[in-house]
Amino acid sequence: MTTELLRDFIAHTKREPSAPALRTRTEIVSYAELAARAGRAQKELDALPPGPVAVLARKSPQAVALVLGCLAAGRPLLLPPIDLGTVALGELCARAGCVEVLAATPEDAAEHPDVVTTVIGGHGDGPAVPQPVAVDEQDTAFMLTTSGSTGAPKIVPLPAGAVARFTGWAGEAFGLGPGEVVFNYAPLNFDLCLLDVWATLRHGGCVALVDPALAANPRYVTDFFTASRVTVVQGVPMLYQLLEEGVFPGVRHVVVTGDHAPVPLRAGLPRRFPRARLHNVYGCTETNDSFWHEFDAAEAAGPGPLPIGRPLPGVVAAFGPDLAPVPPDDGGTELLVWTPFQTAGYVTPDPAAATGRFVTGPDGRRWFRTGDLVRRDAAGRLFLVGRDDFQLKVRGIRVNLEQIERVLLEHDDVVEAAVVPAVDGAETRLTAFVRGTGPGRLSGLRLRTHCAMRLPRAAIPSAIRLVEQPFPRTSTGKVDRKRIG
Amino acid sequence: MRARVMLPFVDITRQIKEFVVTEYLPDTPPDELEADYDLFRNGVISSLGLLKLIGWIKDRFDVPVDELDIAPENFRTVAAIREFVGNALSAPAERTLQ
Repeated sequence: MTTELLRDFIAHTKREPSAPALRTRTEIVSYAELAARAGRAQKELDALPPGPVAVLARKSPQAVALVLGCLAAGRPLLLPPIDLGTVALGELCARAGCVEVLAATPEDAAEHPDVVTTVIGGHGDGPAVPQPVAVDEQDTAFMLTTSGSTGAPKIVPLPAGAVARFTGWAGEAFGLGPGEVVFNYAPLNFDLCLLDVWATLRHGGCVALVDPALAANPRYVTDFFTASRVTVVQGVPMLYQLLEEGVFPGVRHVVVTGDHAPVPLRAGLPRRFPRARLHNVYGCTETNDSFWHEFDAAEAAGPGPLPIGRPLPGVVAAFGPDLAPVPPDDGGTELLVWTPFQTAGYVTPDPAAATGRFVTGPDGRRWFRTGDLVRRDAAGRLFLVGRDDFQLKVRGIRVNLEQIERVLLEHDDVVEAAVVPAVDGAETRLTAFVRGTGPGRLSGLRLRTHCAMRLPRAAIPSAIRLVEQPFPRTSTGKVDRKRIG
Repeated sequence: MRARVMLPFVDITRQIKEFVVTEYLPDTPPDELEADYDLFRNGVISSLGLLKLIGWIKDRFDVPVDELDIAPENFRTVAAIREFVGNALSAPAERTLQ
């Protein structure tokens, strides 16, 4: 098969070459232009040794073209977090088996001069559209990452078939076809882009790419949203906070994802998107989206969290270690899911990390343990109640408190370390409490550099506090996080 | 044209360091923050934190940041911020939007 994504993208290009595919602050790129850039990128890729590649790219039309070129060439494609430290980045690319680390622009390459091997600029000659090679449905298309409990990010390979099924569902569910404009706020390496960017390009819509350098600027984000005439938007709560000043009657679908949206933010959605259907979507990188719930104005303004709703078509859920079909009516049971969009497992040197999250049921089905605890209310609706480990999301990125503590403890002068999260509006901030071997031995700045070499940027604590007293402990000898700070 | 108090560069550097330390680096003495320390790569200033810094520069130095072409690179280190402020204070009065 050729990937459905490329097949349909090329079909749209031939049907309506001048239709807009991408829109940025400064340019509109037609399907014909994007296809030509992807074709040139594919031709440049053909000159490189065969095998998987990493694309280290800030979001840009050229980066999108490069990804399409990689998919057309049938190369498994790792999209690492661009802000990962150099050491961790090199290790990640090696683990994924990448033969080349590609950048789309010289500027992107300059960010990591020791890691990037080739710049694919899409210059020179090439075919008018990419020339997709045949791939199997089990062949890896994308490799995304998620933070692991054992240190380095885990690589999540997504097979071509899983990507085809997910982009197929998303295109139907939200109508991402010609004439539609989908707002893409997430960075290119986030799983959310499978909907925002890749499902949209498969179905003939236009993607409005937020400039990552200005993504925290409410005026820019609001102006760009308005100018782009967005009809579908998916984002974490922070995006809706940035858009708080505007009213957007052209939007048909609003998808809220990621962390719990604070009630005041959620309550404002019906007024700001008066003609939109509102959806709460739940998912994770390993399985992609698995549950969704459509909510109305009354529910948006209601107290408490939104339910996660019902499984997407084809998705199956189970609860707790016994894989019960319905959750028991207790405080919280772990949710396990199987989706048509999921990975077959991690690429990791640590077999324990690979097996821990996946369990095989009696019928041979491979379930993913989400780590999220859910409860069922009297009406049978499911709600998230917390996590069963030390993971949480910071600016939409899953981080693990124990991983950060372990990295701090790797420093020679650190005796004790505890990382404590605090929610500040829509933002989660991490504070690290660190005790050193003696007064004056530690510096918060040097500890930061130490963390930056080993952790994704979202996992670097916002504040590092140096303490001299031993940490309070629980009766079982564990650091008592609640009593620190 | 607005009146501006011209401060020596060394004072500007000091003020920037003190602001960064107070705002983002509790427990750090300002002198320990080197002028070339990468504030982004080391997670000191996030994208939301950057808006706060720019707001402070605007108020403290009376720099019309809304009218200037600013890029995150202008704020990567204390030295870069100092240069940005220095250039803005000595820039001619006419400015264009684009």
